[in-house]
Amino acid sequence: MNPRLVTFSAQVVMLLVVCASLLAHHGNAAYDEEHPITIKGKVTEFVWSNPHCQIYLDVKDQKENVVSWSVESQSPGILRRNGWTRDSIKPADHIAVTLVPAKSGAPVGFSGEKTGKIVFDDGHVLKMDLR
Amino acid sequence: MGSVVLAFAFAISARAGGQEKAAKESAAPAPKRDSSGVWLYQGSGGQESTAPEKDMPPMTAWAKARFDTERPGYGTRAVPDGNDAILQCDPAGFPRIMFFPTPFEFVQGSDRIIQFFEREHAWRPIWTDGRSLPKDPDPTWYGYAIGHWEGDYTLVVESSGFNDKTWLGATGYPHSEEMRVTERYQRVDRNTILYNIRVDDPKAYTKPVIGPERIMKLRPGVEIGELPCVWSEENSFTKRIREPAVGKPNR
Repeated sequence: MNPRLVTFSAQVVMLLVVCASLLAHHGNAAYDEEHPITIKGKVTEFVWSNPHCQIYLDVKDQKENVVSWSVESQSPGILRRNGWTRDSIKPADHIAVTLVPAKSGAPVGFSGEKTGKIVFDDGHVLKMDLR
Repeated sequence: MGSVVLAFAFAISARAGGQEKAAKESAAPAPKRDSSGVWLYQGSGGQESTAPEKDMPPMTAWAKARFDTERPGYGTRAVPDGNDAILQCDPAGFPRIMFFPTPFEFVQGSDRIIQFFEREHAWRPIWTDGRSLPKDPDPTWYGYAIGHWEGDYTLVVESSGFNDKTWLGATGYPHSEEMRVTERYQRVDRNTILYNIRVDDPKAYTKPVIGPERIMKLRPGVEIGELPCVWSEENSFTKRIREPAVGKPNR
């Protein structure tokens, strides 16, 4: 199955956030930083490690197929200054992750800096501001 | 509609209040000959380089040969599966360490100022006891640094003794062992440093590399965290995220 995001609709909410100007001036070549999206899914693993924390979650596409996403985030130091701990995200949590997706079309993304955030089902939010 | 207007007015008012508070705090005078504290430069948000690519001076043939082998992950030559040595957990070295979006701390002693970087959990002493730079130092990742105060508010740091294994920043660009770096940390008020950097490296560039003036802000209450590049964790990350992101199969 081609996991490209254009095939996602109901469970994968595409938010074409109008913030390209904030992002275009730097960037990791692997990610499409001009087109952030938000995916919703169930956490399978949260890795609290240096230099990159990682979030893994299962996301259903419009055909109810489960796609396993891998998400790169910031370092523990930056996340800690935003109120995170190693237990902030747990397996089975339902979360919405705003990220910039891999240009390759693989279900991989980066959630951090200015656009990245995590929203839980109960409404609480984790951010990744540089501070 | 009325409530929207009211909310907007409140937001503007709150913002103005915040700016006023920030301006008041900024107006507090800087302590004399004191750089102590945790500082964070106000960059673009991601990794940067000593100078923007458009401002880089012409390279020598020696540097151009190295430049041509570089495949950075950022900038105009960015490729998603490059050969940036920090992906192998090699030290970023100096001055590249300055341009990560993570804070550093100055701790002042009687004969040196120590600069602790969150990134890599690295540090360098800046000797302020009047000594000179060593004439023939063994090359190192972070070099050898001496500093002095110019007036009461500007710390001038000169450094040399670098190896040539690091880039000037995330966009690549080599330097040689002959590199000498001059930095000026001008504390213009309690919360603000204006940071200027100049790289002289005639083996690599026909003119000095001059960085743009950058703003650093004091971060009261922030403690420097631990951000080493842990090879086992970086390697796992490469297999699980970095390589799949560029279309290589998950290993």
